[in-house]
This record gives sequence, C-alpha cells and structure tokens, in this order.
Amino acid sequence: MLGELLDHYRVVSKVGEGGMGVVYRAQDEVLHRDVAIKVLSSRSVAEKSAKEFLLDEARAASALSHPNVCTIHQVGEVRGEPYIVMELIDGKPLSALIGKDGLPVESVLRYGVQIAAALAHSHARNIVHRDLKSSNVMVTPEGLVKVLDFGLARRLPILEDASQTIDSPEATGRTTNASSGGLTGTLPYMPPEVLRGEDADFRSDIWALGIVLYEAASGQLPFCGRTFFEVSSAIFHELPPPLPAWIPTGLWGIVQRCLSKEPQHRYQRASEVQAALEAVQSASVVGAAITSEPRGPLTIVHRGIRHLAVKDGDVLLLVGTMKGAFLLRASATRSHWQVAGPYFHGHAVYSLAYDSRKERHRLWASTSSFWGTFLRSSDDFGKTWTNPLAANVKFPEDCGASLKNIWQVCLGRDTEPDTMYCGVEPAALFVSHDAGLTWTLVRGLFNHPHRPRWKPGNGGLCLHTIVLDPANRERMYIAISAGGVYKTEDGGNTWEARNHGIQVAFQPDRNPEFGQCVHKMVLHPARPDRLFLQHHWGLYRSDDSADSWKSISNGVPSDFGFAMITHPRDPDYVYVLPIESDEFRCTPEGRLRVYRTRNAGASWEPLSRGLPQKGAYKTVLRDAMVADSLEPAGIYFGTRSGELFASIDEGKNWKMILSGLPSIVCVKSVIVGGPSVARNSKPSVSPQRHAPPSRKRKSPARRKRGKH
Amino acid sequence: MLRLLEKENRLPEGSEANTKVPVTFYIPGPLRAFCAGSQRVQIHSSPATLREAFEDLCQLCPGIRDRMVNEEGQLRDHINIFVGNEDVRYTGDFSTPLRPGAEISILPAVSGG
Repeated sequence: MLGELLDHYRVVSKVGEGGMGVVYRAQDEVLHRDVAIKVLSSRSVAEKSAKEFLLDEARAASALSHPNVCTIHQVGEVRGEPYIVMELIDGKPLSALIGKDGLPVESVLRYGVQIAAALAHSHARNIVHRDLKSSNVMVTPEGLVKVLDFGLARRLPILEDASQTIDSPEATGRTTNASSGGLTGTLPYMPPEVLRGEDADFRSDIWALGIVLYEAASGQLPFCGRTFFEVSSAIFHELPPPLPAWIPTGLWGIVQRCLSKEPQHRYQRASEVQAALEAVQSASVVGAAITSEPRGPLTIVHRGIRHLAVKDGDVLLLVGTMKGAFLLRASATRSHWQVAGPYFHGHAVYSLAYDSRKERHRLWASTSSFWGTFLRSSDDFGKTWTNPLAANVKFPEDCGASLKNIWQVCLGRDTEPDTMYCGVEPAALFVSHDAGLTWTLVRGLFNHPHRPRWKPGNGGLCLHTIVLDPANRERMYIAISAGGVYKTEDGGNTWEARNHGIQVAFQPDRNPEFGQCVHKMVLHPARPDRLFLQHHWGLYRSDDSADSWKSISNGVPSDFGFAMITHPRDPDYVYVLPIESDEFRCTPEGRLRVYRTRNAGASWEPLSRGLPQKGAYKTVLRDAMVADSLEPAGIYFGTRSGELFASIDEGKNWKMILSGLPSIVCVKSVIVGGPSVARNSKPSVSPQRHAPPSRKRKSPARRKRGKH
Repeated sequence: MLRLLEKENRLPEGSEANTKVPVTFYIPGPLRAFCAGSQRVQIHSSPATLREAFEDLCQLCPGIRDRMVNEEGQLRDHINIFVGNEDVRYTGDFSTPLRPGAEISILPAVSGG
C-alpha cells in the first residue's frame, strides 16, 4: 500500500492499525496537503450490503462541517476494500491524555463542551455517532477537540478488543480494567438499551458522552468488570461510583444525568449537555463556589410540549399558573398567538421575568411545589430550563426561617445589569449581583424591628412587590402583605415604614404606622416621585415618594382589588381591576371590567368592550395584569378561572385569546430583544379591531390578491 | 459500590447474611432525575440512623437534599419517609434507628381530597 496512489492521494506511511482496518498518512497531490486514509478491512465489512451501508454512512458524515468534527473528504474503494479520506489531525487521543487520576476539571469541561458541540452538530443532521469513546476523541496541542468516526460504527460487527477499532498507536497502548480483560470493542461505553439490542439513537451518544466525561474526570471507567457479563451487568444495574470530592457538584450532576439508565431520563439533546457544561465552566471561571450554587442539570423536557420559535421584535406573554407556566408568542401586530407549554408540570409559578440586559435572552421562573421552591432560567425561550441541585434562594442557617415561595422576580436597573431582586414568603428580600447565580438575604429589612408584628394575609406573609426608583440607585420600595410599604434611601441597608394615610379596616387603629395589607404598588419612570397603590380596601396615590398617601377611589365600583399597572408612556394612566370584596373576591355584579384613570386617579372609566358582562364572576390576582410597550399599548390579564384576555388598543376593545388554563397567577409581557427593539418595533399591519382570531382569516395581502 | 437492586438479589428476611445487607432508599419519580433515573439507591456504609443514611444519599445525589428538607433541616410538609411500613414522623424523624437491610421509602403525602 505504501507509495500507492488512491485516486489522487499518495500513501506515505502507516499511522496505526485497529479492528476496523489500517490508518495511513497520505498526500493529496492536487491540493498539496496531508490527509489520513482509513482502509477498512474486509473482515469488518464482509457483507456487500454492509460495505455499501458503511460507504453511505461515510458519505452522510462527510456533510458534517464543524470545528470539533474530523472532516471526511472522500470515500472510495480499493481492491474491494472501502477507504475513507479524512482530515489528518496533529494531536493525541483523549484516552492517552487521561492519567490514572483523570484530567484537571478545567480540561474536562473544556473538552466536554467541544465533544458535546460536535454531537449537537451531528445530531442536528440526523447522524448518530454510535461509537463515541475517549480513543475516538483527538486533542490538538492547542486544546482543540476533534471527534472521529461519526456514524461509522453502524453495521460493524462487535470487535474482540477495544484497541482494535481504528486507534492510533498511543491509544492502543492504553490499558483499562475493561480492555485488559479482553472485552468486546466499546462495551464499556454502550448504554443499556443498546445492550438490550435496541438501535442506538441520540441519547445513546449522550450516554457515551457521560462515560467519557466520567473517565476524563476520574481516570476510571464507571462500569468495570473482568468479563463481558460483569461489565454489562454493571451497566444494567449499578450506579456510577461518586466522582472524587474535588469534582464540582454541577459536573457530577451532568454526568449522572447522562448516565441515566432510561434514555428518557437523560438529556435529550447534546446541546443541553453543552449548555450545562458551559454553565459549570462559567461558574468556574468567575471563581464562584459552584459546589454551593450549581445551576445543575436542565429540566427533562416532556415530550409533546410545543416550543416557540422566537425572533427579535416578537411579543411574548409569560403566563404563570398554579400548575405550570405557558408562553405565548405573537408578531408586533399581536393578532395571532402561538402557545407553548406547559412547563414545570404541577408546580405553581408565581413569578416570571425576562432579562434582556447585556444582550441576554433569559427567562426566569420561580417554581413551587411540595418539593420546594427554586428559581429556574432558560436561555432558549423555554426549550430547556436550569434545575439547580441546591436551592438558589434560601435563608441563611442563623435566620430560623425557611423559604415557602418566591412571589416576585425583579430585574435591577439598566445601569446595574447584573442585579436582580426576589421577594419571598416569609416576607423577605433577596438580592443577586451576578445575574441570578447567587443570592443574598437583605438583612437590613429582615432584621427590621417591625418584622415580628407583620401578619400573613390570605396568601401568606409575602413580600410581593419591589419598586425601584429609576433615577436614584439608593432608593427602592417594597410592599408586604400584611406589613405595608417600606422604603430604603441607602440601597437597602435601612428601611422605614411608609404608610401614612393608608387606612386599614381590620384594626381598631385605622391609621397604623405599619401592618397595611398592600396588594400592589406601581411607579411610572417618567414621574419617579409619584406612586399608586392598590390596598386591601382602597386606591391611593403618593406624590412625595411614599411619604404620604391620599385616596383616589373616585368612582370605581369597588376599591378592593389586586392588580394595578401603569401605561408604558403616559404617567397619568393607571389600570386596575376591581373585585367586589375581600369575602366574595369576584368581579362586582358578575361583570368583568378593567378601570382606567387618565388623570392620575381624579376619575376612573370602565373598559369592558369585548369582556363578558353577564355571570362573569372572575378574580384577577396582583401580578396577573400587564401592559406591553408597543404603540398602541397592549393590555393583558389572566383570571383565576384560566382565561387570558388582551386588548391591543390600550383597553378600548378586548378579546379572550386563550381559555382552559389552570388558575393564572401572573402575566408578564416581553418584547424580544428588549426596549431598544420595542422602540423600533412598529406593527407592520394595522390592528384588526374586534376581529376574533381565526386561522381562516386571510391576510390583507391575500385578500388583495384574491380580488384579481 | 452502589447498586440498583433486582428483586432476585434480595436476601430473605432474617437470614444471617442479612446483617451485611445495605439499606435501600426507594426514590419517587420526581427525584429520580437527581439519581441517574434510579428507583432504588443502596447505602453500604452501615448507617445507624435515618440521618446518617440520608446524609450519604445526599452526598451521592446532591439534588435531593433541598427537595426533601427545608433550611431548618425539617422534612418538607407534604413529603413522608417510611422505614419499612412506619412513618418516621412517629419513630423519631431523622433519629429513627435503622437495622441492616432497612428499606426506606420516600413518598409524597396524600394532600387534598
């Protein structure tokens, strides 16, 4: 073979030999570059059909073009033996780099991310590797990973020795517990379903990736034995032994998830593994204590969930319910909504948020069930969510308190793009200065002398509202039910009750310093000194940064209610949704009406066109109403009976855009890409007022064409 | 080595070898994502109490702790642990003593009607 010309490749030297055949270095006489040629032995492809299949697979794999995939240039046949011409890689197989104690964690993560990226690329093109192992992963001196032999394992017979697949001499020299026992080819990397005789799919590659990560982190294979039976028995029945203590919990969690016995319990996509590894990697880089605050594996995505394809300028509604979250998407016309979800089956989602600061596209959700309360995030609009191993928001041990629920997730000002706040039950405030990775209790408020005398409302003792003064970084307000309004002027170190003028009906003293049951409080950024407030009974306004309040319940059918929002542009506009009373807690007279003031509370007008006005006994909770920032503004609200209503003309006309949801707790709006996109995002088509959503309705362009 | 048990591997109650049998946690569906999808996890360190066994379980499967107990170390309200057929809330909570081969079930409580 040496010196021979295969097509236009001159065979120069032999590089290695394995079960699949022989590897040669060759020179491309047309392009004047060195390549590797694998000549597959006739033994490995004895049947004609197997040979054709192998060539088809190699041709399919040649379509892969990715920096972490060894490129296949050409396939051919010489004297009845198929050969594959591929990129010649100057490097060593990963198996030769792994010492008896494994690689440094940084290397495991760096190589792992690249292997996962290679798999994600091939899986997106429907190519399963089927034979991923440390000896099929080459690492260049620069640390670049190249994964070899995509798709080539299919139809190849099981080989007698792991070293007999096409490995370089370095790889064949490595001995492991498994290979020294004369076990079949890549048995230690095979998932249970393949051992059962099922065909390999993407999840099989994810299992093999878990084995490679484990091996790289520890220097050992997780499932060992002296015989084929012992190894396969371990694969079927044993859990991987814990990785050494210095391995970050987050990485261990990823490996465990990859090595789930059932494919449906593993990550479903290599891109998820890549994202999870990158999360641990970024935590390592910034030096955070990832053992205490790991982001953990992403949620198992239930089959059948529909996801959204989202682009800049789209309008999203984030809907939290007592049984999970839903996402709705529309273009800027807001005429037709796509629905995705439910996410977090059975978990109550009290708060949702979208962080577009620093060019992020990150959704946040607080999920609560009897398994605890966790903050989860998604960087791909809900396709995958973090699922932290340890609770990310928790009371320090010395507090004698335990988290019951997260009621509010609030982003910091644009000038502090890594700051976030959480309002929780029992009433307390947490802050994060690393974009939600780690959270700290705001002690200044938690240690307030009033705290022992705060009393829970019907929903619990919760801090549900956080209002930041956009102009003054030291000033913010919070509202507690039932504790009242508190204000800080020194960035959270000290807090003072600010409830002067807010009357209570549930204490002998109608004007207490604190103890008010505030339901919602809002501030318009154009008038940061002015706040509006929906109390347990009563609508109020403050014109002096909450130092005093006066009633503005002028003409509403009931001044009891929960939801209250501002208009995106006009600071004098406020919307509320009156509820009959604290006993009945339904819309007055069975009529669903939003009330709006256009003069900062001097008078209120009902907005009910398109809303049910007979027998509509609805409840709308404090975070279940929201406005978008488009022109004209969209107003949305959800009911406890699971209906979602929308107006795309600032409240003049309404329609129900979704029903049948679980009880709705919160509704948030998002303009994808953030405020700058929103400012430039104009509806391309005039809103179709009154028109019900219908798939049969033709677009204006179609109607025009139809006339001709 | 931790091992997922097959029924036929279990030793009969009262056999001499039973003293060497590890304790077994039965893991409910929502927690299996944090222990490699396993329904059963064995602890071989001969724990004397539920607390010792639970600490070993959490070391092996770190996602479990905060889902089972709150910041004050109390078992969450609607989650029950049984050692054999006994609810540990009536046998000393986490101080419940364990015999070799104990079977520990983690189960969500029946909540609501």
